[in-house]
Amino acid sequence: MSAIIARDVAKTFRAGWIRRRVTHALRGVTLDVPRGAIFGLLGPNGAGKTTLLSILAMLLTPDRGTVTVLGHDVVREAAQLRHRLNMSTGNASFLWSLRAEEIVSFYARLYGLSGRRLRRRVDDLIELCELGPYRRVLYNELSTGIKQRLALAKSLVNDPELLFLDEPTLGLDPDVSVRIRRRIATLRRERGMTIVLTTHYMREAEELCDEIAFIKGGLILAGGTAAELKRQIALGDVIVFRLDPPVAAWLADVPGVLRYSERDGRVECVVDDADKRLPALLEALHAEGVVIRDVRVSEPELEEVFVELAR
Amino acid sequence: MSWRADGWRAERWRAELVAVWAFALRSLLMASRNIFFFFELLFWPVVGVLSIGLLARFLQLGAPETSFVLIGTIALSTIQVCQLEVSYAVLYDVWSKSMKHQFLAPIGVRHLTTGSWLVGVVRGLLVFLMLGVLARWAFGFDVLAAGVGDLFVFLLGCFLTAWIIGVLVCTLIVQFGSRAEASAWATVNAVLVFAGIYYPISVLPRPAAAVASAIPITYFLDAYRTHYGFASEFPLALTTGLGLSLVYLALSHWSLVVAIRHARRNGQLLKMSG
Repeated sequence: MSAIIARDVAKTFRAGWIRRRVTHALRGVTLDVPRGAIFGLLGPNGAGKTTLLSILAMLLTPDRGTVTVLGHDVVREAAQLRHRLNMSTGNASFLWSLRAEEIVSFYARLYGLSGRRLRRRVDDLIELCELGPYRRVLYNELSTGIKQRLALAKSLVNDPELLFLDEPTLGLDPDVSVRIRRRIATLRRERGMTIVLTTHYMREAEELCDEIAFIKGGLILAGGTAAELKRQIALGDVIVFRLDPPVAAWLADVPGVLRYSERDGRVECVVDDADKRLPALLEALHAEGVVIRDVRVSEPELEEVFVELAR
Repeated sequence: MSWRADGWRAERWRAELVAVWAFALRSLLMASRNIFFFFELLFWPVVGVLSIGLLARFLQLGAPETSFVLIGTIALSTIQVCQLEVSYAVLYDVWSKSMKHQFLAPIGVRHLTTGSWLVGVVRGLLVFLMLGVLARWAFGFDVLAAGVGDLFVFLLGCFLTAWIIGVLVCTLIVQFGSRAEASAWATVNAVLVFAGIYYPISVLPRPAAAVASAIPITYFLDAYRTHYGFASEFPLALTTGLGLSLVYLALSHWSLVVAIRHARRNGQLLKMSG
């Protein structure tokens, strides 16, 4: 069952009166997000990630295409949907003169919470996002990391079925990023929330996302699990040998070897599938009387996939 | 089944009131923590009444004429303070770049404008009370001379006008972004120039008088001034003023809804957010 079904979604922005500037932000995006999944949208700056997220969250209307979120059309049935989803942005900003707990309470009231239910929800979120020491601090006086946690708390006021996170760890210290990532994983595990996130950090996407879509120039170029993407892009697996003698250039002719190189006394073979090709390589080296001192196999990093797609 | 329907209706009403209260409380908190709100409340209204009252004294105007212009300046301050509060409902989010968060939530423009308008009414009443006392003490002008009932209707007219102008300013800001910020302070003055703030609209050129007759506060000012010795320029002034107010109130809210829909289409909503 899909939480989001988007078909051929397009969005163009026009600006300027005299010199008309036209930006094709999305050029026909088709997307399916399974319920209960963490879905990542990756892509370079200006790829269309935030535009797509904003359309899914009903902050923007698409020019073309259809979007169904939790079984409702985002254009015609927005009213039925709004209380079931929420959003947090990495560079979120709130009213400067309100205290952290007042900000959470304000947004909770917009979703109909009042009295004891409101107080309990605010307390829970303050605790969940570790905002206790800052609950009575004015927004202006909070650090970037705390503001980010506050944005996350705000996005959970209505216990949404679908949560959009736009760059949730943007500009944060590594330890804070790790804590926020853990919290996101916990939300999905404990509350069964569907989460769609955009990020620039490949490690974050690889660690959190069940599925990833690469978007560039307003088009989705590739999609699937991290492993599937690596296969799709055919970057191959890397097998690194430490050999005696340290050179075996003839390995480049062994079936399945895509690239051969020597670096720092090590031999590096990029193969299409390490599981399939490693036994044949070991056998060939043994047959040539080469002594194998060490073997290491590694998959390509998602970052390499990103670089390849963004090229 | 009817108890279930009643329960659902009660829940709907509760959610409506909670959303209105959210905006009212936000306005109250912001007003209590920012010094410029005190200036709006105290400084400019007091300066307005003192300068107009002293001008009237210098020009040796009689008691009725002095009342006439003081009613205008008190109305201007009362409307402006209330209207600004409504406009702030959108301006706060523009200034803090948090616009998208409230339009992500299941609320309507009615919650936003009603909550802030209610706080505006309270602030407007405070200003009116303060200026009334000042005008009585400094210039012997009695705001209660019309009687409590007629004063209530006059204030109702002021606050409805403030609501309409405030929502129209919100529309301009949503439509044109921060470029339209100045309208929050300018619009009420422009409206009151036509509405006969310091003069009867009979002195206006004919096209301007036609514009004046389409502005609700013109009728409320006219009706209130009849209690200070001036003949009414309109038959059924209060009914006309009230009728026009309700029509414009509906139209201004509709225009804000359309502006928000447009902002969702052209990305203006995102531009006004962080």
